[in-house]
Amino acid sequence: MARMKFLCDSDRCIECNACVTACKNEHEVPWGINRRRVVTINDGKPGERSISMACMHCTDAPCAAVCPVSCFYTTADAIVLHDKDLCIGCGYCFYACPFGAPQYPRVGNFGGRGKMDKCTYCAGGPQQDNSPAEYLQYGSNRIAEGKLPLCAEMCSTKALLAGDGDIIASIYQERVQRRGYGSGAWGWRTAYKEVLPA
Amino acid sequence: MTDKTGAERRGFLRALGLGTAAAAAGSASAGAAVVQRADTVPAGQAAKENDAQRRAARYVESDEVKAFYRTNRYEQ
Repeated sequence: MARMKFLCDSDRCIECNACVTACKNEHEVPWGINRRRVVTINDGKPGERSISMACMHCTDAPCAAVCPVSCFYTTADAIVLHDKDLCIGCGYCFYACPFGAPQYPRVGNFGGRGKMDKCTYCAGGPQQDNSPAEYLQYGSNRIAEGKLPLCAEMCSTKALLAGDGDIIASIYQERVQRRGYGSGAWGWRTAYKEVLPA
Repeated sequence: MTDKTGAERRGFLRALGLGTAAAAAGSASAGAAVVQRADTVPAGQAAKENDAQRRAARYVESDEVKAFYRTNRYEQ
């Protein structure tokens, strides 16, 4: 069974934000919510790195672990989705998520934020596939149409990979071998050093 | 004369009120035309999937997906 994953090749990301725009346009994401965003480290300095971030559809998702109403579920494709009819907008998932993926549409009186919204891996939600109700609540369902998330398909430098985890890992491995040096993966120089500094 | 001036002033106020109402209605209809993500959908439109349906696998390695994988690799 395929496990759907995102992988951002930070050696290729040029911070063009096309993935962010494509996502917002495809799903009619309202103002104030970004399901995907580009994070740049050391902006304008040598060694600048950009990575495109969204929900990483964790195997053991912390958002699902803390949700008091169990509105999250994981599909057979390992995509983490949620049911907005169950969500109470408590915000626990926002605090639990290490990637800042959960977003809330508004700030209201008495702390009301509305139902949580996040990247669906272009797989819609628990409404019937590609129905108007699904689009209205969750956005389009490209996975059910035999496509991949639009952010990855639109990436002009092919930095953002999406699809079967085994296949995109092999694509990335091929790139690293061709480049002939370490990895452009986030955290490589700190978490995967070959030797410890003296 | 005083009565007439008073009537004209009231007419102006009435026109102002109608104009404001028309502007508000216009902006409301423009807002409704913009599709926004909804927290809920009306019960009549909802078509919820059961637990097995919502967890079912939907990914297929279609031609489009294969093309994506192929173009992301180096040319052979």
